[in-house]
Amino acid sequence: MATLTVALIVGAVLFGIGLYGALSQTNLVMIMMGVELMLGAAMVNLVAFWRFLHPEVYAGQMFVLIVMTVMALEMTVGFGIATGRFRAKGSVEMEEAGDLKG
Amino acid sequence: MITATLTILGPLAAVVLILLLRRGASALALLGTAAGLVGAGFALAGMANGARYAATLPGLPGLPLRLVVEPLTAVLSALVAVVGFLVVVYAVGYMKVEDGKVRSFAQVSFFLAAMQALVLAGDWVLLLAAWELIGVSSYLLIGFHLDRPAAASGAARAFLYTRSADLGLYAAIFVLVAGTGTSEIPATFDVGGPSATAAGLLLLLAAAGKSAQAPLHGWLQDAMAGPTPVSALLHSATLVAAGAILLIRAYPLLPPGVLLVVGLLGGLTALVTGLVALAQTDLKRLLAASTSSQYGFMLLALGAGGPFGALAHLVAHAAMKSALFLGAGFFQHARGSTAFDHLTGAGREHRRVFLGFVVAGLALPGVPPPGGVWAEDAVLAAAFGAEDAWAFVPLAILGTLLTGAYVARALRLLWRGEGRDTPVAGASWMGAGLAALAVLAATLGAALPPLARLLGAETEGLGLGAVFGLAATLAGLTVGWYVSPGRLLGPLRGLAESGFRIGGGFDGLVARPALATARVLSVFDDSIHAVVLGVGRLGFAAGRASRLADERGIDGLISALVDGVRRLGGRARELQSGLVHKELLLAVVGAALIFLLLATGL
Repeated sequence: MATLTVALIVGAVLFGIGLYGALSQTNLVMIMMGVELMLGAAMVNLVAFWRFLHPEVYAGQMFVLIVMTVMALEMTVGFGIATGRFRAKGSVEMEEAGDLKG
Repeated sequence: MITATLTILGPLAAVVLILLLRRGASALALLGTAAGLVGAGFALAGMANGARYAATLPGLPGLPLRLVVEPLTAVLSALVAVVGFLVVVYAVGYMKVEDGKVRSFAQVSFFLAAMQALVLAGDWVLLLAAWELIGVSSYLLIGFHLDRPAAASGAARAFLYTRSADLGLYAAIFVLVAGTGTSEIPATFDVGGPSATAAGLLLLLAAAGKSAQAPLHGWLQDAMAGPTPVSALLHSATLVAAGAILLIRAYPLLPPGVLLVVGLLGGLTALVTGLVALAQTDLKRLLAASTSSQYGFMLLALGAGGPFGALAHLVAHAAMKSALFLGAGFFQHARGSTAFDHLTGAGREHRRVFLGFVVAGLALPGVPPPGGVWAEDAVLAAAFGAEDAWAFVPLAILGTLLTGAYVARALRLLWRGEGRDTPVAGASWMGAGLAALAVLAATLGAALPPLARLLGAETEGLGLGAVFGLAATLAGLTVGWYVSPGRLLGPLRGLAESGFRIGGGFDGLVARPALATARVLSVFDDSIHAVVLGVGRLGFAAGRASRLADERGIDGLISALVDGVRRLGGRARELQSGLVHKELLLAVVGAALIFLLLATGL
């Protein structure tokens, strides 16, 4: 029942929801959540390709682990910035964050 | 040849030196004219020994300038040199009380050089050039007293009259050169046919203008505004003589029909201007009218077929008339005017000057002892010997009668009456010139037979002409002495006094057409001026248009480019909003594009 097609459809749906969230939200936290969703969709796809096409090669699993690490790092840095921004300005609304614009 | 060219170069060198040194003008002019005199004397002596010279000077390409020294030109050259020298001697005295020595002596010397060139020219082109030069120098000399309106208008009138007539010379030379293909004077005499007639009549027009023949005689009266030595020079051997000289030299060219016209014109002029002379109230104006009259005699003799008679009269008249003018100038300095009202009794006061005046005056109509009788006889003999004697003889006799009458009138007015004199400065120089010319006038008759031999002309004995001439002269003198011109001329007097200026004068013949031409030319000139200005304006407009194109076009293009770049930059800046979600969107769009490219298989 659980075929490659089903896994890919789930991944695509997740990616779409994440992309929409990242583009439509103005809150930094919400944007990062969208990005998390897109990365998650990418990992679902990677796992599905490994499991249904080349289960004997472990490189696929390694790739998923690296992406997970990158995700954790991104979360750390992103929430650090959000916390700092909130402390400095009292808001994490991205519409107001144009300070570095030339 | 060198001695002959000295006649031209001597006065010319004097002009240059006078203008360069600007002092000692009288001495330099004397030296220059003396050199010319010596040259002319040697040339004449050479002629007597049978020598003939001709020289070709480099001129225009294909038109070399030729000088010829042959008996006729040598005699004329000697005449000009002698009269010129004596007049300059006189002028040294005359100019002592006048201003402008440098100018006057330079102009007189230049005049003499030009006249010698005219006389010696063996080529129509050189003759024309000399003719023009004497025209311009006579204009300068007549207008010598620049500040006097009479002098200025007299000079302008003389210039206009003679210049208009000069066109005849131009046309004649054109006809001759076109007909024969050469500009050498003797060679063009063979032209023959209608060309000869046309050229002859055109030459007559030029000569009538210069020699003040009717109806172009008016200017000579007004030319009296110049200084007296200048008048003497103009009337005796130079300007006015140029016309007669031209016709004498061109005599072989003239066909019989033209000769008849020449003779009749001369005879009529002798009569008309004789009447004018009789009515004048000014000594110099009387002499001027007399000059026209005497040149009329020369043309009469020429027309009657006696070129030697014309030449003899020209030579004799040169001496007589210059002596008369010099005497008039002396009286002018003594009384401050030449009007007869101021001159009454002047002759009685200055008896020696008056003696010279009388000698020259009596020679004019041909009273036997002085030399004029020979010349007068030569003219009358020619008239009697002509085919058309019926026309020429009465004119000649009447002209002689009138000459006697006006000479007698002038002498009487100078002798009778009382007047107060002022001392005359430079009397010795003036007297010397006058005395020499009076002696010449008295004795020149003796020189005519050898002159005739030199020129190869035969002189006739004293025949019928001499008797008639003498009778007419004596009758004229008697009438002139005893009868006042008022009674003599009757109703004609006013007309004669103004020089027969019928219907506003003969100005209408020359001055008005000349002025009308001048106006037309002025309009033409103005239109050319307008065209030139238009071209200038067009250039300005083109310049302005080009400047506008630069400012609006090129500058505009550059600033438009700058604006465009700036606006584009503005647009590009708007993309860089610094808003995360917008830049994320850009990234997504970019990624989508890249995917699309990869998917289409590029």
